[in-house]
Amino acid sequence: MKVEVSKGISEIKFGLLSPDEIRKMSAVKVITPDTYDDDGFPIEKGLMDPAMGVIEPGMKCKTCGGKVDQCPGHFGHIELAMPVLHIGFIKEIYSILGSTCSNCGRIKLTDDRINEYKKKIEEVKNKLHDIDYDDIVSDAESEASDVVICPHCHFENKKISLDKPTTFREEGKKLTPKEIRERFEKIPDDDLILLGMDPLVARPEWMILTVFPVPPVNVRPTITLETGERSEDDLTHKLVDVIRINQRLRENRDQGSPQLIIEDLWDLLQYHITTYFDNQTPGTPPARHRSGRSLKTLVQRLKGKEGRFRSNLSGKRVNFSARTVISPEPFLSINQVGVPVRAARELTVTETVTEHNMERMKEMIRRGPGNDDPAVYYPGVNYVYRRDGSRIKVSEKNAKDVAEKIEVGWQVERQLQDGDIVLFNRQPSLHRMSMMAHEVKVLPYRTFRFNLAVCTPYNADFDGDEMNLHVLQSQEARAEAEILMKVQENFLSPRFGGPIMGAIHDHITALFLLTYRNPLIPVDMGMHILSYVDIKEMPPVVEEDGKRYYHGRDIFSTILPEGVNIEFKGKLNDKNLDPEGTEGIVKIENSKLINGAIDENAIGQSKGVLLDYVIRKFGNARGAVFLNDLTRLAAGTISYIGFSTGIDDEDVPHEAKMQLREVGKDSVSKVEKLIENYRNGLIGPEPGKTLEDTLESMIMKVLSQAREKSSEIASHYLGMENSTVIMARSGARANMMNLAQMAGIIGQQSIRGQRQHRGYTNRTLPHFKKGDIGAYARGFVTSSYKEGLNPTEYFFHATGGREGLVDTAVRTSRSGYMQRRLINALEDLKVSEERKVLDTEDSVIQMIYGEDATDPSRSFAGESVDIDYIVKETFGKKYGGVKK
Amino acid sequence: MILAWKDTVKKIKEIIEKAPVCYCVDYDIPAEEGVSEALLTISGKTFVARANISKIEEYSKGSECLKKRKDGLKTCIKIESIEEIQDDVVNYEEFTGGSIEKIESYAFIIHKEEAKIELKESFEEKLEKEVKEIIKKAENKGVPLPVKIAQKISDAKKKYGIGDKDLDKLIDATIEKYKETTVDPYEAVGIVGAQSIGEPGTQMTMRTFHFAGIAEMDVTLGLPRLIEIVDARKTPSTPSMTIYLNEKVKENEDKAISLARSIESTNLLDISDIEVNTTESFIRIFLDKQKLEERGLKKEEVIAKLRKMRMQKATIQEEGYELKITLEEPSFKKLYQLYEALKVYQIKGLDGIKRAIVKFDQKAKEWVIYTQGSNLAGVMELKDVDFTRTRTNDIIEISQVLGVEAARMAIIEESISTLQNAGLNTDIRHLMLVADMMTFDGNVEAIGRHGISGKKASVLARAAFEITSKHLLNAGLIGEVDKLNGVAENIIVGQPITLGTGAIKLMYKRGD
Repeated sequence: MKVEVSKGISEIKFGLLSPDEIRKMSAVKVITPDTYDDDGFPIEKGLMDPAMGVIEPGMKCKTCGGKVDQCPGHFGHIELAMPVLHIGFIKEIYSILGSTCSNCGRIKLTDDRINEYKKKIEEVKNKLHDIDYDDIVSDAESEASDVVICPHCHFENKKISLDKPTTFREEGKKLTPKEIRERFEKIPDDDLILLGMDPLVARPEWMILTVFPVPPVNVRPTITLETGERSEDDLTHKLVDVIRINQRLRENRDQGSPQLIIEDLWDLLQYHITTYFDNQTPGTPPARHRSGRSLKTLVQRLKGKEGRFRSNLSGKRVNFSARTVISPEPFLSINQVGVPVRAARELTVTETVTEHNMERMKEMIRRGPGNDDPAVYYPGVNYVYRRDGSRIKVSEKNAKDVAEKIEVGWQVERQLQDGDIVLFNRQPSLHRMSMMAHEVKVLPYRTFRFNLAVCTPYNADFDGDEMNLHVLQSQEARAEAEILMKVQENFLSPRFGGPIMGAIHDHITALFLLTYRNPLIPVDMGMHILSYVDIKEMPPVVEEDGKRYYHGRDIFSTILPEGVNIEFKGKLNDKNLDPEGTEGIVKIENSKLINGAIDENAIGQSKGVLLDYVIRKFGNARGAVFLNDLTRLAAGTISYIGFSTGIDDEDVPHEAKMQLREVGKDSVSKVEKLIENYRNGLIGPEPGKTLEDTLESMIMKVLSQAREKSSEIASHYLGMENSTVIMARSGARANMMNLAQMAGIIGQQSIRGQRQHRGYTNRTLPHFKKGDIGAYARGFVTSSYKEGLNPTEYFFHATGGREGLVDTAVRTSRSGYMQRRLINALEDLKVSEERKVLDTEDSVIQMIYGEDATDPSRSFAGESVDIDYIVKETFGKKYGGVKK
Repeated sequence: MILAWKDTVKKIKEIIEKAPVCYCVDYDIPAEEGVSEALLTISGKTFVARANISKIEEYSKGSECLKKRKDGLKTCIKIESIEEIQDDVVNYEEFTGGSIEKIESYAFIIHKEEAKIELKESFEEKLEKEVKEIIKKAENKGVPLPVKIAQKISDAKKKYGIGDKDLDKLIDATIEKYKETTVDPYEAVGIVGAQSIGEPGTQMTMRTFHFAGIAEMDVTLGLPRLIEIVDARKTPSTPSMTIYLNEKVKENEDKAISLARSIESTNLLDISDIEVNTTESFIRIFLDKQKLEERGLKKEEVIAKLRKMRMQKATIQEEGYELKITLEEPSFKKLYQLYEALKVYQIKGLDGIKRAIVKFDQKAKEWVIYTQGSNLAGVMELKDVDFTRTRTNDIIEISQVLGVEAARMAIIEESISTLQNAGLNTDIRHLMLVADMMTFDGNVEAIGRHGISGKKASVLARAAFEITSKHLLNAGLIGEVDKLNGVAENIIVGQPITLGTGAIKLMYKRGD
């Protein structure tokens, strides 16, 4: 029996390259600092020697014979005339120099101490201590570096200092890399473990380079510009420098040039090799390109956000994905996503041909790649793969032939069709609901479309937002996505254990209008509205004045699942707003809305009690249906009832205007009075405050009262017949304070929680007298948005607004970094089968996850069980008599 | 009864040498107390010697004995034998229990009764009988029910008046529901937790808010505070304490105010102007009468405190509210040293507490002290303070004074209250996970390259986070092995991650 096992990497071991290894893996010894000759062919033994790999299509590698996409590239090497320090190990070289004897090469510690340290290291490796190996090494090194006379050979060691970046001195005398290397060669393997090295993979002398590896050409490809000009990679430039100086150094050395010249060249070689590794070494001027741009060398390639690690290894580019602008589509289910035909033709799913799908596949192939006409969209096929993996491109011409050729086991790249599972994502992906699985619905035009209830989890709007879509390629992936990632599986947020999706904006307004005061809807209009949803039974008809009506609440009740019994408080649960108690308390009995208006508290996102109830009681699937119906019914209702708001919504009667003006004047004069009292010394400081602060807080109090009063007046004169008020009261958008600012008084503009106070000497603006600390001079705005602001008010308003903008800009970057750190720290944690929380080393972080093993996304707003609900469910009405 | 006093190492050594010996202290000890044991300290933190006392009598001039100090001696005690305490250093706090004055220079009696360690009831013992029974019943059914849920069942039983027969049914139903809400194995709880804290971060404000109408008492809130907690900073940017008072004095405004005043750290410079006269080589201190009153200090107290200051031989002259300090040996350098020392010399109060304000809590009907600056250890020792409720926002300080577990709780509570203050609702389990991760190795560790992320086992994961080249080079030297157990490493090498469905290594074995 044959068991197929896919390859996997189980571990990666790091080490240093020894000179021998570098020579062994080298395909060519590079000696010429040139790249191409005049004919454009790579020079033998040059930096672009074809033995190091190929970058031009059509060429073959001299070493392995592979073509561009087959050859992995091969290293070359340069024999350095003189050894050179590796810049990444300067610190280690320094500490090893300090802690070993320059005569015998042993660590300057007695054998007893060495054994003690070794024992400790052994224990650390067996996890008997919670100290780091690094700490023991640095302890040992610092202890040894204080010793002057070597306990082994009794040699008196001299003090070694480091002149950054790369010069070592022994009591002022320069130590050449060669001398250092000779000393390091003497260090016995046994001592290395105390110096933080593993003798199996690294020797200290390997930190001083004698042979220099030249990376393969495909690591540093030549770029041919449109003009035919060739441009070399930064690394190649640097390598040219290294070879050139190395050559000169060798010549000078062999000729027996003066020591001074040799040393200069040696330093220059050190500089080039240093910058080749890291061009941002402190103390070294960065190597620059002719244009003045500093070169991007090895460390720069790896480091940072755009470096290899974060940009290419932790984040990878993918195929089978699409990106376009998003727009709303209330007629799609929350589980669906509308994909434009153009994208659907391009995105494919690979299906293997079997006996069972042969016919279907043939038919699809016959259609070929298809056209952009949405009216005739049927999924076609872009490519077909034979069993050996070779590819056939399906075109209109060969479609019929290819269709006949296919056999069982071939693979067909089929275009997207309705019902395919795809992942849909919007950046920034701040939580897991930023990427959910949807079912495809191929649609005309060019945008991705989805139900409005899904805006919240993605945090999307339609002011030009774009989103990404990924087509899943394997059955496992599809199954997993459907079970775990589908929109309906993510109703409940793991953040707080409540529904994150729900009705927003017009959906709330619409259903509020439908249920507020239980309006009578003429039968014809009701029919139209109900035609938007799929219902089993029509609501009862009521007759009044000889005309036939539906009750709004009855219409709403049609979309409720069977068996809904719930009572909760709505947003209108307030004696002033709802004196008769017919709107504020929502009561549903046997799936009939008998009291109350449906508002944000019933169906809104994260607050919707009714929505939460339906999802929990009837499951995600029914919840999705309910939410779909909700959005459709809302769309229907608001289309037929009609709803709009305009500037005249903020019109208040003359009487109210007078009152508002009075409030403004009143508070300004109150502030004046306070200031007068302060100037006359009639105000005493409150405990813990200075006199000025006391005054300031008193003024702030007066002014905030003014805004509250204006809010009261505005809401008194603006009733439920007003569109803006409907939106605010139902929770669809805005609140009464926004309204008051539009119709009444805008109020105090503050910066950092204080009244405006910066600007000119002793005044905020030249429009005021010096020393004026009255209401107007410090940013109090008595106008309304509708009236318009006067110039000083406008200025203050803008300053306040600017603060908000700056705040958001700073916040996004700061919180983004915090989240990156949090995720990095916690990403490896997982729950074990015993519900422990473990990290990668299987250390227990929590004995039981969250102290009760409850998944927050399955919890009831954080509670592991809802005991009242359980009692109600298990015993029915038996214990129903007791109120909460 | 035990006697205790503070003395120098030299003196204690002398007693040990000469014992049995008579020793005179400047404290009145009634003979009838029956003291037979004494503890000696040199630091006021731990006791270093234990003495057996055979006799206590009034001090009379001329008696041959060791003297604690030159004058003001009151009692003479006979020390029969004395031994150094070494193995089990008796902790000073163990005896004081926050209820007696600090050992200053005099001896005093501590009541041994207070030194008793009371064993608290274990958590399990504390549970109601019924709750315990419910847990047992569930255990018999093979489900370890968390106490919280058992408590809920028991509460529901009372609330609805459920009979014993139905209780079983209820337990069964609850267990069923509880199983449904349990986390799935291999769930990536860490990532979900990090996202659940990070995501609301984008919705928070950056501002520092004024604290409940008290000026100059800013408390960092919102995103900066959250970052600060996660960073495990040595000191928060706005350290502050909320000090609650004992049952007896919590309604007493005067007591609260005087306590607040007494903890406010007051430097000499806060209450005076200091002037150095270099020509005649003296320092003049002008005490500010008004400031003295504000801080509840008297001139005499300040002078007494100054006399105690360890300084070069100097004389203090009093001229009304002016003090003149002259050095016995005039030295320019020493004069300036003294001047520098005087400027920051603490006249009273606790280190670090810059300001203390008293407020009346309307709800709890008690006086509460709010402070700017924090000194948990100092405040907990105060007599009238209810240290069980007193809190500080300095997490590192909590970990030093009360231990990591307390620090863990502090992280959870501080972070959840920061989030809730911003009107954001986040499940406590996410914060618990972060707190556990931060405190799990016994210290409070930061989230970031200096803390958890820098100590990951995987080289690749560390390199992918920050300071890439350092980690890679060092890995080469020690020959580090990356076992590829984590998420980041496996993404880098292009393999399925080890969480969720990727954690399961089952393979379909194809039959023939």
